[in-house]
Amino acid sequence: MSEVKIKAESRTEFGKGAARRIRRAGLVPAVLYGHGSAPVHVTLPGHELMLALKTPNALFDIDLGDRSELAIPKQIQRDPIKGFLEHVDLLIVKRGEKVVVDVPVVTVGDPAPGSLVAVEHTTLSVEAEATHIPAQIEVSIEDVAVGTQILARDIALPRGVTLQVDPEALVVNVAAAPTAAEVEGEVAEAATEAAGAAEGAAAEGAEGAEKE
Amino acid sequence: MLIPRKVKHRKQHSPKRSGMAKGGTSVSFGEYGIQALEAHYVTNRQIESARIAMTRHIKRGGKVWINIFPDRPLTKKPAETRMGSGKGSPEWWIANIKPGRVMFELSYPNETVAREALLRAIHKLPMKCRIVKREAGEG
Repeated sequence: MSEVKIKAESRTEFGKGAARRIRRAGLVPAVLYGHGSAPVHVTLPGHELMLALKTPNALFDIDLGDRSELAIPKQIQRDPIKGFLEHVDLLIVKRGEKVVVDVPVVTVGDPAPGSLVAVEHTTLSVEAEATHIPAQIEVSIEDVAVGTQILARDIALPRGVTLQVDPEALVVNVAAAPTAAEVEGEVAEAATEAAGAAEGAAAEGAEGAEKE
Repeated sequence: MLIPRKVKHRKQHSPKRSGMAKGGTSVSFGEYGIQALEAHYVTNRQIESARIAMTRHIKRGGKVWINIFPDRPLTKKPAETRMGSGKGSPEWWIANIKPGRVMFELSYPNETVAREALLRAIHKLPMKCRIVKREAGEG
């Protein structure tokens, strides 16, 4: 994974007022920590950071002026509606150091007709070198038979990457898709139940009115 | 229809509708989701109706998750009743939804059909919503 060079400025004022001023200026408040060092509070350019964070576990080369540090994102806080970055926690890493990160699982290929593919673990926790974190883990579901369960141990990982979850953990489950008749039956049953409940509620309401 | 099995208090105060969703703001289980953009009470009947609309459209080969639960009772006094003489009788079960909350999730191989299904479900809900897609590494 290539490093994203980003220039950071030291942050001296704290609190929500200062953080809001920083965000209004198009910057993002962030904190850099790790390896037992004291946390460094910085501001990062918002647009560049947003583009870089589109890649999961992006590796940053943070230029702090007098020195530079390699870091990976530890926690990202976003606004739930607008999606802008509110704050980022960055973890300092060293070249050659192994880190435990969550890597997204992506299914490739078309499943067999009549099958229902459920990805039970959308990310897998793996240990990898900080400079060689895989962007994603691909799981092929091309013509996989119905009833197949792909476990964590069945997934081929890139070289130098080791699994950090239970090897027996279910990652992808290929089950038989319910038939159209089953779906229609379930929907009809739900509709009948809803109608029954509505009638019950109406009767209860009328009873309540009489009491009043 | 979703309804609590047992409640501590049969009649409660109406829940507050201010603020934003504290959690459950990202797609966690499926590939696509319905995110609330306004605060609103969502009744168990609306939840069920949205689920049926979605299930009916995707027919088979997909999975639906409901991330909200209607655990708050709302009461209503009968029509043409004078004020006073106690709180009304429980009428609805509602989930108090704040902006940002992902209420439903869907997993389906075809994105066009998935979006159509979610749009049908949105039409059954009382607030403005949008369709969100899982981002890489989210979950």
